[in-house]
Formats: sequence, C-alpha cells, structure tokens
Amino acid sequence: MTHTLHRTGDIESLKEDFPMLTHVARGYNDIGAGERLRQMAEIARKYTDLNFGDCKVANQFMMRPEEIMRKHTVGWQVVFKNKKSLIACMKELKEKNIGISVVVSGLFDEVLECCKKAEINPPLVEFALGIHGNKQKLWPPEILDFVTMCGHGLVSGHLVKKMVEDIKKKKIPLKKAATELAKPCLCGAFNPHRAAKLLRKMIK
Amino acid sequence: MRIDMEKCVGCGRCVSYCPVGAIQIFEQNPKKKKSKIDEDECVECGVCLRAQVCKPKAIYLPELVWPRVVRRAFSDPMVEHKETGVPGRGTEEMKTNEVTGRFKKGSWGMAVEVGRPGVGGRLEDLETIAMALAGKGIVFEPRNPVTFLFEDVKTGKLKPELRGEKVLSAIIEFEVGPDQLEGVLQSLQDVSGRVETVFSVDLISFPEEREKGPALEIAKRLGFPVYPNGKVNLGLGRILNQ
Repeated sequence: MTHTLHRTGDIESLKEDFPMLTHVARGYNDIGAGERLRQMAEIARKYTDLNFGDCKVANQFMMRPEEIMRKHTVGWQVVFKNKKSLIACMKELKEKNIGISVVVSGLFDEVLECCKKAEINPPLVEFALGIHGNKQKLWPPEILDFVTMCGHGLVSGHLVKKMVEDIKKKKIPLKKAATELAKPCLCGAFNPHRAAKLLRKMIK
Repeated sequence: MRIDMEKCVGCGRCVSYCPVGAIQIFEQNPKKKKSKIDEDECVECGVCLRAQVCKPKAIYLPELVWPRVVRRAFSDPMVEHKETGVPGRGTEEMKTNEVTGRFKKGSWGMAVEVGRPGVGGRLEDLETIAMALAGKGIVFEPRNPVTFLFEDVKTGKLKPELRGEKVLSAIIEFEVGPDQLEGVLQSLQDVSGRVETVFSVDLISFPEEREKGPALEIAKRLGFPVYPNGKVNLGLGRILNQ
C-alpha cells in the first residue's frame, strides 16, 4: 500500500501536512504486535490529535481512539500539522525503541530536516512520479487536494463539492464539514486541519 | 452495494459520498424519488454504507461472488484478500524495509497504481499496463494481490472474466534494475494514451537518490514529474519474533 503518497497541493499547504504510519513486518515482528502498536499510538497521540485510525478498524471520527487501540492489527496512522510536534514524537519513538516500523510522509525537505533534528537516519524513501493516463477524468486541482489525502480513494470529490455548497448555504459549519470529509478515510491519514483551510479558500 | 427500493425515501443524502459517482436519484413516479446504485459503476468500497447517512437503512451489501468479489477486495480497505491470502491492496513495500531487507541498493522498487487518484478503473486497463511492463521483462511482485489476478504472470494477461470489473485502485508492484528503468518508464509513457483511466507511478529508493541517484535524473529527462513530497521510512523497526 502506498496510501500516504501522491498528496497534491501547493507547498504552503503541504507544509502543514505530515501523515505518520506504523506497520508491522509480517513474519518478523507481527507476533504480539497489538500491544506494541498500542504503546506507539499512545506516544503519537500525545503530540497530535488531528486524526488517528487503523484502516482495518476505523478512524477517530467513527470510533473512540481507546477502542481503536484495542483492535490494532497491522498498523495505525496519525497526522501532524507542524514540525515541532512531529520532531518531538519522532524523538520519543526513537528513544522508546519499541521496534515497529514508522513512516512519515510530507515535503522531503521538511521531513528530512525533522529526521536530522530527531537524530534519525532514514534508510529508504518513496517518490511520487506523477499521474498519467486519461487525466481528463481527474478532479480539478482544488478538489484533488482533498481527494488525495485519502490514498485509498474513499473521500469523494462529490462530497467535497457538496460540503463547499453546504458551507456557503450555512447548512454546515466549516470545521464540521472538514470532519465530515475525514470520516470516509478509514486509515486516519486525512488531515482535517488542512481540509478546513482548503475549504476556507474554496468558499471565498 | 444495493439500495432497498422499499426502504429508500429518496432523500439523496448518500449520493455525494460515492467516490465514483455511482449513486443517482431517479423519479420512480411523479410523486416519488428514489436513490439507485449503478451496479456496473459501483466498486463495492462500502463508503455509502459506512457513512451512516441513510436513516431508513436502505443501503446494504449483497453477497458477492466471483468475479464481482474482486471489486470489494480492491476497493474496501477493511477487506482482506481471502482469494489470495494477502491483505490490503498491495504489500508492505518500503514501509518495513529496514526489517525485511526487501529492497537493496542497485535496483528500485516501483508501483503503478491504476485508478488512483479518485477515478477508479476497469481491470482491462490494468492488464494493458501490466502487459506493457511484462514486455520490458519485469517480474510482478509475487505477494501483491494483483499478481493473483493474472492468467499468465509472465505476460500480465488477466483472467478473462476479470477485465470488465471496476475497482477504486489496484497496484502493480515490481523491481527494476539499472538496465530496465528507462525502458519501463518509456513503456508507461507509451501506454498512457491507451487506457481509459489514470494511474500514479511510485519509485522506491534510498535518501541519497535525491542528490546523486540516477533514477530521478532518468525520470526527469523523460518528462516524469518528481513530487517534492513523498514517504520516508524512519528505520525504527527490528526483528522481534522469536
């Protein structure tokens, strides 16, 4: 799975978007991994409460985080909006040395700077080499920025349009609309903070 | 997914939740509207059901049989690939590499995500791309669920009954060596105009690739965009099983 890759948007917006995921390695550290994942989730959640989820279970807008943590299987996701919290979390995860893999997505310059500050030497990276094929079928860029925050493609562009319309008609508050968009993304990789900012831009 | 016409009150709340726009409102009679799912377009992702916006609980998941069951396996992340025994759309790829040692220096991991972002695609498009890649001598990742869909894993030819099935996305995974990369990227460019849907391309490498690796240079020379953002494995995993 590559569900935190290919997030589109302008640099300023992406500077507030750092999904973090953990994943067990089957056959190497999966036995008894549930408790280790829970310990790591508790660390991460001290530094961010924007989103939290496990795609085999639910996200925090569908289920209480404590319940999600009791059901962990292979990994979880959280999202950070600033480097300070991300670095602090990275440092604690490194220090606690629990042993499950952690991946952070975001602007390479920003994430690698955070790694340096946390004294972490990342062994591997993954690059996105663009979208190809019949691009006429793509959502316009301002909607694609929302849609690509769920790598499984569960956040509908139609829902983005609906939320924009409903905010304009004062049927739903902006922050609640951002949360509504986060709900279908089971993993918890969707960034509602960034979504709220993007929605604000769209209703202007 | 299906909508029980007896229960549906035609409120239309479910319509916008569908990622592929498969839910429509229609007039059952001049006084009554209903929501209906276009089964050919539906990818069985389950978003409409999980959204819990249907007050009369008219949306339901029917029993799915082969080959339609493939739609759900590739579109609903809550579902494990029972037919293949592999969970998720792809594999652990680079996420656990510091533990598994799967990717080594001297080659690159690649993935082609058919239908992503936000469009979905028919598996016949996946076959077109897979056959083009197979023509360049790549070997499909044996643990990836897509590989189990092939009738012939050497050519990328699909089981014929799967071609018309639509999924939110499916990932073709493989490794390329230094002598293959340029040809593989060119084949992706060639096939780009021959598919109905979109596809995203991923490249797994080492951090130093950004400064002095040949792969990004080749990609840029061929006109591939290299996003400023991506994934970074922090290297915090280790072997723990006894």
